[in-house]
Amino acid sequence: MPCEEVTYMKQRLELKVNGQTYEVLVDPWQSLADVLREELGFTGVKVSCNSGNCGSCTVLLDGKAVKSCIMFAPLAKGKEILTIEGLATESGLHPLQEAFIEHFAVQCGYCTPGMILMAKALLDENLDATEDEIREGLVGNLCRCTGYVKIVEAIMAAKEKMKVTSSH
Amino acid sequence: MAGHSVVGKSIIRLDALDKVTGKAKYCEDLKLPGMLYGKVLRSPYPHAHITSIDTSRAENISGVRAVITGRDVPEKRYGPSVFDQHTLARRVVRYVGDPVAAVAADSVEVAERALGLLKVEYEKLPAIFDIEEAWEKNPPVIVHRDLPKYELGKFPPLRLVPDRPNVCHLRMLRHGDVERGFKEADLIVENKFTTTRIQHCPFEPHGSIAQAESDGSLTIWAGRQSIFLARQYLCKLFDLLPSQVRVIASHYIGGGFGSKVTLYTEPIGVMLSMKTGRPVKLTFSREEMFSSGGTRIPFVIRIRDGVKKDGTLVARDMEMLLGMGAYAGSGPLITRNCIYGAVATYRIPNAKIDAYAVYTNEPPVTSFRGFGSSQVLWAIESQMDVIAEELGLDAVELRRKNLLEEGDTNITGEIVHSIGIRECLDKVAESLEGSPKSKMEGGPWRRGKGLALGNKYSMAPTAAVAIVKVKGDGTIEVHESADEIGQGCHTVLAQIAAEEFGVSVDEVKMVWGDTAFTPYFSRGSTSQRTTFNVGNAIRLACQDAKRQIFEIAAEKVHAQIQDMDIKDGAIYVRSDPSQRISVTELFTSERALSPGEFGDYVEPSAEILGKGVWVTRPAPSDPETAQIPENVARMGGRLAGFFGYGVQGVEVLVNIETGEVKVEKVVAASDVGYPLNPKMCEQQIEGGVAMGIGSALWEEVALDKGKVVNPNFGNYKIVTSINMPKIENVKVFLVSAPHKEGPYGAKGTGETQMTPTAPAVANAIYNAVGVRIKDLPITRERVFRVLREKAGG
Ligand code: FES
Ligand code: FES
Repeated sequence: MPCEEVTYMKQRLELKVNGQTYEVLVDPWQSLADVLREELGFTGVKVSCNSGNCGSCTVLLDGKAVKSCIMFAPLAKGKEILTIEGLATESGLHPLQEAFIEHFAVQCGYCTPGMILMAKALLDENLDATEDEIREGLVGNLCRCTGYVKIVEAIMAAKEKMKVTSSH
Repeated sequence: MAGHSVVGKSIIRLDALDKVTGKAKYCEDLKLPGMLYGKVLRSPYPHAHITSIDTSRAENISGVRAVITGRDVPEKRYGPSVFDQHTLARRVVRYVGDPVAAVAADSVEVAERALGLLKVEYEKLPAIFDIEEAWEKNPPVIVHRDLPKYELGKFPPLRLVPDRPNVCHLRMLRHGDVERGFKEADLIVENKFTTTRIQHCPFEPHGSIAQAESDGSLTIWAGRQSIFLARQYLCKLFDLLPSQVRVIASHYIGGGFGSKVTLYTEPIGVMLSMKTGRPVKLTFSREEMFSSGGTRIPFVIRIRDGVKKDGTLVARDMEMLLGMGAYAGSGPLITRNCIYGAVATYRIPNAKIDAYAVYTNEPPVTSFRGFGSSQVLWAIESQMDVIAEELGLDAVELRRKNLLEEGDTNITGEIVHSIGIRECLDKVAESLEGSPKSKMEGGPWRRGKGLALGNKYSMAPTAAVAIVKVKGDGTIEVHESADEIGQGCHTVLAQIAAEEFGVSVDEVKMVWGDTAFTPYFSRGSTSQRTTFNVGNAIRLACQDAKRQIFEIAAEKVHAQIQDMDIKDGAIYVRSDPSQRISVTELFTSERALSPGEFGDYVEPSAEILGKGVWVTRPAPSDPETAQIPENVARMGGRLAGFFGYGVQGVEVLVNIETGEVKVEKVVAASDVGYPLNPKMCEQQIEGGVAMGIGSALWEEVALDKGKVVNPNFGNYKIVTSINMPKIENVKVFLVSAPHKEGPYGAKGTGETQMTPTAPAVANAIYNAVGVRIKDLPITRERVFRVLREKAGG
């Protein structure tokens, strides 16, 4: 939190989100989550703990999962940012999105965007991930509603679909 | 159940697509033109006088639009049962986190900066934290000196205890003659159990946007449970009429678990909006959720049971102290209702229960999934295993022997209906049979299994109203006021409407709750009441709409109304299905012009309205004994809407060197009456189990002299993906003991699910290593210490 006496200049920042370039004026202390949500309207980025402990705010930076609530926005400059809004393509939903729907992996939905993006980062890295590896990979993404059973099921199912697509 | 085409099927959730694409909107995502952001300054002391507040520096920051303190808020106190709380503390603060002042500013940052410049002087007062000490006749500290003068709500009727000044409610149950029962007993077992504070941790924190309108009315957008309760509370606090307060459900709600029933953000938001004339959004930080967002009630439970040698229960005596914290919130209602946890499972000829609601200077509590039943069952289901051990009986057999059956009388005098617990028990016991017999695992690990029985009532009275609009294009639009807190109520309710009209859920449109437009639902989505009550209201509304449709169609298809039915958008004659007319045709058909020129004509853009009203009424019960009069019980009078039942068995590994416990396997069977959407029932069960495991092993809002020391997910551990057993080791069984009043026999199921988990874990730990932990949570340190003591270390 800034203190009273110091005044900051807003910075001009160029961010590439879901394939589009945006120019925003940000405070230097603003988190990436805050800029994405409040300045650019990507409200699919969910903030639940605002302290790096729950993973709801997970977005992908050049394919790597980051907790956007504890990252200063200017650090994302020049990177490809992917939020949940950019995951589906013209040809349809991503296999993870489909699997989360079909396997009832969604309840209140607040953890869902972060969970799906984290799963994408995991599977993009290792399409052979075992159940244990998936569980390990999700350990920083908390969910209060589901007990993770159907989330893990969905990711395992999506993995199989993605394997088929990637072998074509 | 045969013959159903939409209910009973695992229809894909209507909200899933919005939620996986990021389109789902929650309160926190809403922005209104001119909206300000509120922040609250909270007391750093558990008990103190406010001697002065200097707001001048905060007011001078640019971007600050209002600063309010206790001087600005109504003199009137509010609360769901005891009117014990000011919007902002006026003279006294009673817990660390008590709201003292609030700021509205152009941004959250400015508001936070302003908080830092508020200067408050306090004079510290002695505080009390121990529930048992606070309950005493001459407690060292009285939390609310003026309690006898406070206004008390009517629901539940409260009983103060004049010589226990920190008690704001005493609930009593008397059934049979408990002393005689103990005389008949061959064995008397007495134990003390405790539970701790846990937080709901809904992933969306409490939040609302308040707009004070220029005509004095209020509009509130809220991510909460129960828009009508909020309206009721706000009317009371601000002296407004129901027509002057509009509460709008801000679409999706990021979890509730009971935490979003009482008012947290709304009153302060309203005050800030009144002062600025602008909409004010107030959202709790995660830290505020822990300090001031309500927790589950910590219980101290003394339980004394009398049993025969063969295991027959003959007497049960329970004394329970419930720690309210500084403000009672829904605590007195929980004090009233928690005893039902002890009512629903076992046949007990003689019973006595006293439950006290006790103030301390700790943070206020609130309703939590299970509403007291979880805590009561923690004691009972641990105790059942203790009794079995002392009698040398099998714990499952002991339970089977004492189970209530359909038609039995329970300890409130109610005649039992729709009880599927025996089948649940059979399923779980059988499934656990198959687990490895040996207790020895590799190295320091020991294996054990245990189970426990759970139940949860659904509160009555409940009134639910639904309006169904049949549109000219055949769409069925359903208006009701349930809260979509993540349980998926809109999907299940749409299934019911779809079933009634013989269409797919795609033809059904659910409307978001808004007290200005959607019909009354007395207490919202709380007490697992939505499916049962709103579901019934929707069925009735559909039937009402269909009757009108049939009346209009009767002319065209030349049939009697009784002989007509509707399916896939067409009305047909049952005895001759070729006689039919589509709903759309009904609205547009030339045929509709006869007999009179405009006789039964329905404009294409018109709609047919059906209305359904459902009320679940409780039987009267004696305030001294909680007994239902016999004649009322015989006529089917009951204390709650229904009881849901669940049995859970777990297998654990316990490390005898470190005390660590791992849950390896869970088997959960649940009596849901009738699974309207089986996969969604599983969702509730799996989520309940996870929360139950967390509550059993780690979850504790830790307090140091009333201050929360672990107010974030870094230090407050909820279950993670690696704490849950693997997919193949989570087994769920759905059991159906249909309820005669439930829609298609269904009962609600959200809350039942975590009631048996913690005692099942404790029983499994005992089975593994022979130590009985009586206090929640069963932390590694506790297990380690007791193992040490047992080894004589
Ligand atoms: S909101 Fe970013 S980790 Fe919790
Ligand atoms: S679905 Fe609610 S937090 Fe995961």
